[in-house]
Amino acid sequence: MDQRIIYKNDDGTIALVIPAPDCGLTIEQIALKDVPAGKPFKIINASDVPEDTASWVIDDADLTDGVGSNNPFVLQEV
Amino acid sequence: MSTIKANAYLDAAGGNTATINGATPVGTDTVQTLTNKSIDAGQLTGDVAAARITTALNATGSAPVYACRAWVNFNGVTGVIRASGNVSSVTRNATGDLTINFTTAMPDANYAIVATSADNGTTNIWNNQAATSSSAGYMTASSVRIATTVGGTQANTTIATVTVFR
Repeated sequence: MDQRIIYKNDDGTIALVIPAPDCGLTIEQIALKDVPAGKPFKIINASDVPEDTASWVIDDADLTDGVGSNNPFVLQEV
Repeated sequence: MSTIKANAYLDAAGGNTATINGATPVGTDTVQTLTNKSIDAGQLTGDVAAARITTALNATGSAPVYACRAWVNFNGVTGVIRASGNVSSVTRNATGDLTINFTTAMPDANYAIVATSADNGTTNIWNNQAATSSSAGYMTASSVRIATTVGGTQANTTIATVTVFR
């Protein structure tokens, strides 16, 4: 996948989610599953990730692609 | 549906390889070969299945075999996952601060991990740096959080691997 998911950590820094190729989930499913519950996220192209992610700044208003929802796609073992 | 039971089915010449509607009856002593057929894994039970699995894994001796439940090899610098199994994504929380997310959750958080990282910097010399897990609270059934370091300082590394056993 040439896409990435970003969301804001509690301290305001940006967390970058790198999807695993061929994991069987769509980028949207991965976002909903792996972004912490309640945190808004944005799906972006990998080429748009800056080299210096430590000083990366994202406006909250840009995180518009969804909200993490507590792992709905994780298959729980029984 | 009726069931017919017999010790042997004879053909017209007296042999016991007769077929019924094209199928060889179950229960004959003749060795049969499965061609283009499969056996559901649930039908393999007991010592036979265990022996075949350990043989396939080249495991000798009587010690039990515990399988890897998730693994990943990724580049923490470029953010590229080279290969993985049962991993949906890797989250870079901060420099050298990574969360490995499982596609299918572990049965609980009491698994064991092996985590390694290496960085070739600009000298093309490998400096093996052991990845260290963060606090115990960062091991959950659905993910594990690790740190990668170079020279004792938390850093992104060009090769990081995590393996999970349970």
